[in-house]
Amino acid sequence: MAEHILVEGLSKVFPHRGRPLEVLCRLELRVDWGEFVSVIGPSGCGKSTLLRIVGGLLEPTAGRVHIDGRSPREAQKDKDIGLVFQDPSLLPWRTVLGNVKLPLEVNPTDGRRPLFQPKELLELVGLSAFADYHPHQLSGGMQQRVAIARALVFQPSLLLMDEPFGALDEITRSTMRYELLRIWQSARSQRPKTVLFVTHSIAEAITVADRVVVLTPRPGQVRAVIDIELPRPRDESLERSGQFLEYAQQLRNLLKEEPQ
Amino acid sequence: MPHATLRNVPEPPPSGGGIHAADFRLRCSNTASRPTWLKPLLLLLLPILLVLLAACEDSEQPATTATSAATATPAPTAEATLAPTSLTFMAGFKPQANLPFVGAYVAQEKGFFQEQGLTVNIEHSRTSGEEFRFLVAGNAQITTADASVVLERRSGDPAVPVVAFALIGQTGQQGFAVLADSGIETPKDWEGKTAGYKGSKPTPDYLAILDAAGVDRSKIQEVRVGFEPQVLTEKKVDVLAVFLSNEPDTLGRLGYQVRTFDPADYGVPTLGLTYATSESYLQEHPDIVQRFLKAALKGIYYAKENPDEAIDIVLRYAPGEDREHQRFMFETELAAALAGDAQENGIGWMTAQQWQALYDMLQRYQALSGPLADLSAAYSDQALRNIYTNGQLQWP
Amino acid sequence: MTDVPLREPWEPLALAPPRWNGALRAVAGYALPPTVALAIGLLFWEVWTRTRDISVLLVPPPSRVIDRFLDRPGFFLGEGMTTLYEALLGLALGAAVAIAAAVLMAHSRLAERALFPLAILVKVTPVVAVAPLLVIWFGFGLWPKVCVAALISFFPFLVNAVTGFRSVNPGAMEFARSLRASPFQVFLKLRAPSALPYLFAALKVSLPLSLIGAVVAEWFSGDKGLGLVIFTANYQLDTPTLFAAIAVLAVIGVALNTAASLVERRVLFWHEAFREQD
Repeated sequence: MAEHILVEGLSKVFPHRGRPLEVLCRLELRVDWGEFVSVIGPSGCGKSTLLRIVGGLLEPTAGRVHIDGRSPREAQKDKDIGLVFQDPSLLPWRTVLGNVKLPLEVNPTDGRRPLFQPKELLELVGLSAFADYHPHQLSGGMQQRVAIARALVFQPSLLLMDEPFGALDEITRSTMRYELLRIWQSARSQRPKTVLFVTHSIAEAITVADRVVVLTPRPGQVRAVIDIELPRPRDESLERSGQFLEYAQQLRNLLKEEPQ
Repeated sequence: MPHATLRNVPEPPPSGGGIHAADFRLRCSNTASRPTWLKPLLLLLLPILLVLLAACEDSEQPATTATSAATATPAPTAEATLAPTSLTFMAGFKPQANLPFVGAYVAQEKGFFQEQGLTVNIEHSRTSGEEFRFLVAGNAQITTADASVVLERRSGDPAVPVVAFALIGQTGQQGFAVLADSGIETPKDWEGKTAGYKGSKPTPDYLAILDAAGVDRSKIQEVRVGFEPQVLTEKKVDVLAVFLSNEPDTLGRLGYQVRTFDPADYGVPTLGLTYATSESYLQEHPDIVQRFLKAALKGIYYAKENPDEAIDIVLRYAPGEDREHQRFMFETELAAALAGDAQENGIGWMTAQQWQALYDMLQRYQALSGPLADLSAAYSDQALRNIYTNGQLQWP
Repeated sequence: MTDVPLREPWEPLALAPPRWNGALRAVAGYALPPTVALAIGLLFWEVWTRTRDISVLLVPPPSRVIDRFLDRPGFFLGEGMTTLYEALLGLALGAAVAIAAAVLMAHSRLAERALFPLAILVKVTPVVAVAPLLVIWFGFGLWPKVCVAALISFFPFLVNAVTGFRSVNPGAMEFARSLRASPFQVFLKLRAPSALPYLFAALKVSLPLSLIGAVVAEWFSGDKGLGLVIFTANYQLDTPTLFAAIAVLAVIGVALNTAASLVERRVLFWHEAFREQD
């Protein structure tokens, strides 16, 4: 089967007070169907920009992005992309269930697209008991789980996540990555789900992914790609294994070195 | 298993695990046993105690009045050396050619006040009732007031202790106007129409006219209006309460012909403007009041003989006003000032009969808050008697 | 994974519970301090006017003001209700026009640039200059007062509504964009709820202003309302009535604001301003 995401020669330049800022420079990337890919890199290397372009929120300056042969805008129109950002941006005046229902209210479907029912989704992310709570009553981790549920309503085949656990404390972060994996496993039993996951945490990048893409400092290009051959399903014990530590060391070296 | 020991945290009780809220309350509470409301209460009471102390001291001193150098030894008809005195005169409306105002303006400009040893500061009342407030507070010593207003204020609760010492307008200027082309010719025609009144309720002279002309009041729609004559020209009202020396002329100059109704034509007694002061000031300084009156009346007589110059002087105080309109106002009020008893006895003259007639009318139409215990306390002709001889003004 | 729904672990432990019924204590907590302060102030005022021999025509002692009110409480309250009615009607009108204009201005910078100077003109025009004209245009009844109250309420609502409609969480806005929501949907589901805190703030500013507007308008025409009572009492130097009317006005104002605050708490429970519990 052809690749799910194809990024060719992607460049992005931001006009910045007269001196243009080159954030991405001829970036090439391929992601296969159902793959879980982490993107990691030093600050300012354009990982978030890359994600936003793939998600159809930004236009590239040069190059192309294909999602299953369509442009990101078209994929967005088809509701085939789910987005989760660092700030869950839940609407505080709506209940948890109300927030998950929001995409359905904005885009009522006529049954053409397969859907997750909001209540099912809450069960999936483990928050059924909190359906009538309001966001301000939930912890950061729980709010992010609501955001994930919200992103899955239209059963998108692609999930884009930009440092979703960046605002959480260390303890919650480490549990949340396994939660995410569990949710991903359940969700993709219906349809394959490709995930593009941006992070700045090495441990996180390795734990969740099938492949880790390392970007160069600005302007961003692909520095290296590491295949993560750890067995699934994964749990915390993996983080103490030798293989894991090797991958971590590899990534640390890649991130420290200057590119040629 | 080693654990970190935190400073200043009491050890939990040996039984059970964890720290209980109750223990914290018992061991960690170290607030003073003094109630927390004591301090704010003391802070609040302290200024009150200070005020009470200050008040007790001050209440032994006499109330101060605003007249600074006015401690002149009272000499009712002093001649040679008049102790120099300053006072504030507050005209009861904006600067214009009402006759009492004219008297003061001319006396000021021609030096009549000076000749009487008075330094007069002329003020004008901007808001209704301000002249009385100034009088009571001692910020003004002499003012002008409509005769009926003098009685109304005296009957109020609380009562204003104002006394009139000269009646400039022998008849009042209150009246009513309709547009000439409105077809309204007599008060009987007011039935079925809308009448506008200023102030808080229809005036007694309005009610008196209705009575005198046999008009059914219930057939008239009465509305409260402001000072803009446009309510008449825009036909928001058919009949408008006006000052005969003022609005009819103004409207005429705007191109609107009006027909007026004068209460005097219907046998309704009205009195015009007076010079007035407070009871206490008249009691303490009758000489100053008299000197003021002398100078102001001389001003009016001078204006009578020199009307053009007088209007010039008025315009110095009221620069934006229309000369012809001020002339009209002056002449209309002058005619009213020379009517009746004033003919023989001099401008400003007043009689007990006049005040009684006015009082009776006001009482009949419930314009007063209550009856006056002593009507004669509302006016004093002492100064008038002293300065006029056979209707001639003594000068200096 | 265990979930702790409510407070983070580092929140302080609860202090000793109150000794008597919580609700009663809460009411006392809110009502008692201002009442005591007011009582002390009135005492101060009474002592001052009596010992300093201040004429009642200038400043009446509170005892006489209270007397005057108790002579005919129905009268004062009745006139108060008239003024209140005019004020609320005017506020509703001003708010409606302002919010409509704000919707326009939030969606079009051109509209904002065109309309905002006009709004400032409205704000800066002194009410006392406009009131007589309104009487000429709208007659002697209710409408001039409603208009004045509306004019006064207009600007706070306009400014707050525009800011409110624009104060959408950027993350939520981006999310709405990703859903390709229409401007109408964005307005209904995002902008309008985001603006509510600002609208309530405008309400609390406009309530007393609209009362004052109605009072001032009553000086110029009409035969009812606390404004007329104040106007007449002022002219007659009847200070006890004057102060009694002002006191009734103040009580109405406080009652309105309290009601608005209570409603605000219920509607805006989700807003961070209301989540800080003592």
